Amino acid sequence: MAREEPQSLGSAVSGLTLSARHRYPEGFELEAELEAEGGVTAVFGPSGSGKSTVLRIAAGILRPLEGRVSLGGATLLDTARGICLPPEKRRIGLVFQDHRLFPHLSVEGNLRYGLRRRPARRFPFERVVEVLELGGLLERDPASLSGGERQRVALGRAILRGPELLLLDEPLAAVDAGRKDRILAYLERAVSEWSLPTLLVSHDQADVRRLADRVVVLEAGRVVASGPTASTLDRAVISAMRSAPGPVNVLRVDGVAEVEGHLEGSAAGQRFQLPAGLPVTGAGVYVQFLPKDVTLARADVSGLSVRNHLRGAVREVAALPGHAYVAVDLGGGQAVWAEVTLDAVRELGLAPGREVVCLIKTTGVEALGGSLAGRA
Amino acid sequence: MDLLSFSREELDALRLSLVVASVAVLGSLPFGVGLGWVLARKDFRGKGLVETLVHLPLVLPPVVTGYVLLVLFGRRGWIGPYLEDWLGLRLVFDWKGAALASAVMAFPLLVRAVRLGFAAVDPRLEEAARTLGAGRLDAFATVTLPLAWGGVAAGCVLAFARSLGEFGATLMIAGSIPGETRTMPLQIYSMLESPEGGAGAGAGRLVALAVVVSVAAVAAGAWLGRSPRASGAP
Repeated sequence: MAREEPQSLGSAVSGLTLSARHRYPEGFELEAELEAEGGVTAVFGPSGSGKSTVLRIAAGILRPLEGRVSLGGATLLDTARGICLPPEKRRIGLVFQDHRLFPHLSVEGNLRYGLRRRPARRFPFERVVEVLELGGLLERDPASLSGGERQRVALGRAILRGPELLLLDEPLAAVDAGRKDRILAYLERAVSEWSLPTLLVSHDQADVRRLADRVVVLEAGRVVASGPTASTLDRAVISAMRSAPGPVNVLRVDGVAEVEGHLEGSAAGQRFQLPAGLPVTGAGVYVQFLPKDVTLARADVSGLSVRNHLRGAVREVAALPGHAYVAVDLGGGQAVWAEVTLDAVRELGLAPGREVVCLIKTTGVEALGGSLAGRA
Repeated sequence: MDLLSFSREELDALRLSLVVASVAVLGSLPFGVGLGWVLARKDFRGKGLVETLVHLPLVLPPVVTGYVLLVLFGRRGWIGPYLEDWLGLRLVFDWKGAALASAVMAFPLLVRAVRLGFAAVDPRLEEAARTLGAGRLDAFATVTLPLAWGGVAAGCVLAFARSLGEFGATLMIAGSIPGETRTMPLQIYSMLESPEGGAGAGAGRLVALAVVVSVAAVAAGAWLGRSPRASGAP
């Protein structure tokens, strides 16, 4: 899903447009403008940057001092004209970070809550239950569910409301690392099954890279960048690199199969070997690794222990004191970040356009889980 | 004398007490729920004043509360004449007046319990209900109220029990007319005052009966107030 597709022009009518200014009594001020069309748009930024405020304004839970919100051409909020539709009149589903399941209703009662109240669109109950694998939970009490199960129920409940836009507030923040992959897989499955335009709020680079088609970067209540995920995130990450841990590489590997005793697939059309022992059964996986596990070479070299050699062209070089991050485009919308010394930048002549080979140690590669097999 | 052979007067007093207490609770319930919710959820200027007014019957001598009611609802009171002219409603020397006195006296207990019930409900659940298509009232009725049910039930029981015991304010506005406004506490009092022999034993029977009815009311309230879903009960 994290492919970069050309932005379709003239489709603004079908999506969400939001511009708002708001100030909290505590002094935090938000002044943001953003659009979300089809696919997944991420609102990315550190905590306290105003991400959740944007969601609350879109959902109608928070009325900003000034602002306009429209969805599919219909005005939901226009403070200048005194229009502010209440949440129940907006065709928007919101999955809260803390789930907010109703404790006095069973799982099924929770799921049917929105369904009973004239949903904007009708998705078959049985299908939602099937896709999110909720069948075994219907009679259960929300208090008895695990964090991941609650997240799935909350997602199903929001989908059954039949929204024209789905809002996800840090859907993975409250889920422990082990279950994250599965929740990600459910999210991907749900979003593609019903092609729901989605606005995702997250502070996690890897999640955004994996899920979002486009990203809006927020900092201290202001939009500092927006556009296709990989390039926008890279630019934002570079600007924040001095204080932040740096970029994270997320690659999509397709057609995974066992070849001569090891697992391999193709990333951006090039052979990619995966670490042994992965329970990979689907056709594709996402893998994650750090820029320091990537070595750059001017030309392909043989006789190395490193298994993965990916060809690409340098897109940009971000020099920091002592070291540099180099972004290499692999084609197919995928890119890899390498961390190198400043000497290496000089000696290899690393500059935009320079062709290089990325050597990636298999041992540093971590699989994020298979999901692309899908059911759709 | 048989302990269970109640006289006509005594049974009338019991029946009247149950009717008055029930009407007092049911009549004040919508106001109690509304005010309890407002006090739990809203901040506004004068909230302190409202709280003080609501709690006033708890600290004032009941006779004073009864006197205030008489000033307001008496036949020559501020509101009484209009009620009588427009609605044909007479409160003085009437069981409905007794119900009003009971309702006012029990109101602080009702509001207090209801308010605690609402305060324990996470308001973010209402937000969730709204985003799922429920209007304000719908969300209140299907999420907030069921979750605050324990507090509402507890408030009703306390108010009912308080109403059963109401004496001073009732006497002021409704008097003590046998079969009309003489509730159990008034009956017990009048029996003890009576010069006839054996009144003491009759009063003892009524006191025992009052204890039984009160205990039954509290037990019923505990049963009503149990959590709608078995787990997660408070």
